[in-house]
Amino acid sequence: MKKIFSVFLCVVLGFSSVLAAATKPADKLMQTVRGALDLVYGDCCVESTIEHKQAKVRELIESNYDMTILIRRAIGRNWNKMSADEQAQVLELVKQLVVKAYVKGLEGKSRPEVTFDTTLQVSSKRIEIPSTVVLDGEPIRVLYRMGLMGADWQLFDIVAEDVSVVSNYRQQFDDHFRKENGAALITKLEELLKKDKLDENIEF
Amino acid sequence: MKTLNSKLPFYVLMAALMGASAQPVIAQSDADLYGDDVVTAGAVDDPLESINRVTFSVNDFIYLNVFEPVADAYTFITPDPVEEGATNFFRNLKYPVRLAANLLQGRLDGAWVETGRFAINTTFGVAGVFTPADSVDGFEPIPAEDIGQVLGAWGVSDGPYLVLPLLGPSNLRDLGGLVGDRAVDPLSQPFAVNESWNWEWRLALSATDVITSSPTIIERYKQLKGGSIDPYSSMKNGYTQFRNAAIKE
Repeated sequence: MKKIFSVFLCVVLGFSSVLAAATKPADKLMQTVRGALDLVYGDCCVESTIEHKQAKVRELIESNYDMTILIRRAIGRNWNKMSADEQAQVLELVKQLVVKAYVKGLEGKSRPEVTFDTTLQVSSKRIEIPSTVVLDGEPIRVLYRMGLMGADWQLFDIVAEDVSVVSNYRQQFDDHFRKENGAALITKLEELLKKDKLDENIEF
Repeated sequence: MKTLNSKLPFYVLMAALMGASAQPVIAQSDADLYGDDVVTAGAVDDPLESINRVTFSVNDFIYLNVFEPVADAYTFITPDPVEEGATNFFRNLKYPVRLAANLLQGRLDGAWVETGRFAINTTFGVAGVFTPADSVDGFEPIPAEDIGQVLGAWGVSDGPYLVLPLLGPSNLRDLGGLVGDRAVDPLSQPFAVNESWNWEWRLALSATDVITSSPTIIERYKQLKGGSIDPYSSMKNGYTQFRNAAIKE
């Protein structure tokens, strides 16, 4: 009887870990997305400056996900074309840029409604979490791609309306490194971060 | 109890293995985390890059200094329902393009839905100003098809990436598709329903079409451009990914 019980216990333990792997990442993602929106729109932060909101959003994201993974995937093979010092600077500047683009992109807009669909298990170490973001009355499909890295599920790509963010940035880095180097990229990123509006006119 | 104890390491190992199969630890090598698997999806043929970049810069200037103020003024002076109605009206008029594109891809379901939507919206929706078909079962909106997608579905490759003056990102295949779209567009030659009208009326109608669609297009343009390190490359890649996905759908 004890034998049967212990086998049953093992099966339950194993099965529960399967369930945990399938449900936890979606909950964590929902909390992060909604938490970030609370920081931008919530009562707590009405008086906050945009810089403060950016800092809080970044803190929240980094407490749940390793942004380095997304950025390194976007940089791809160009990573080795930079010195260690340049790599560190680029990582930091891109993190700032991504958070600034997120917070600035929501500025002046009403709080988007976000709904998450059922998690899709692509393989034992890959899942996809589909969601719909309704921004100013317009629905936008956003797919979060996650991979099991070590003990944690980490974001490795975000696909908005069929456009992969990692692939999009990879194109930009590839085009940059075909003609220029890491130092020029740092200068470009620093100039971009100084701009008040990220989508202002392109200079000839 | 002894039996259980003696077998305990086995059960623990079994549980651990079951857990491990549910949560496999992947090697955190550079290849795993930062592999080049996205490159193939993002590679875009761009032999005319230098010309395209100049056209892109000129377009960007026009979009943000001419189209955006017009779009803002239009949004400001037009009540939301009127704005929505105008957009619906012009979208409804382009039904022949969507019908042809569905038929040419053998998508009879799509052709049926588009035809039903056109019939319902044109009659009960006052010439397409309203969209009552949205709430009719089986006639909800479907993604719009165009001739560029038809060519893609027939196996025509993208060809070189192009930035068209005013029209923006495209490629050789989609430029051919654009010519096809115009061929079946009831507002354009050769099937123009307004052919007998004088040029002022035709220009006014075309201008209104552009103005009504400007706010959405400008907003999307700015969303994609904002936060990009190289807006030209971002747009090139975004357009290509978006079109490829539309063709695969």
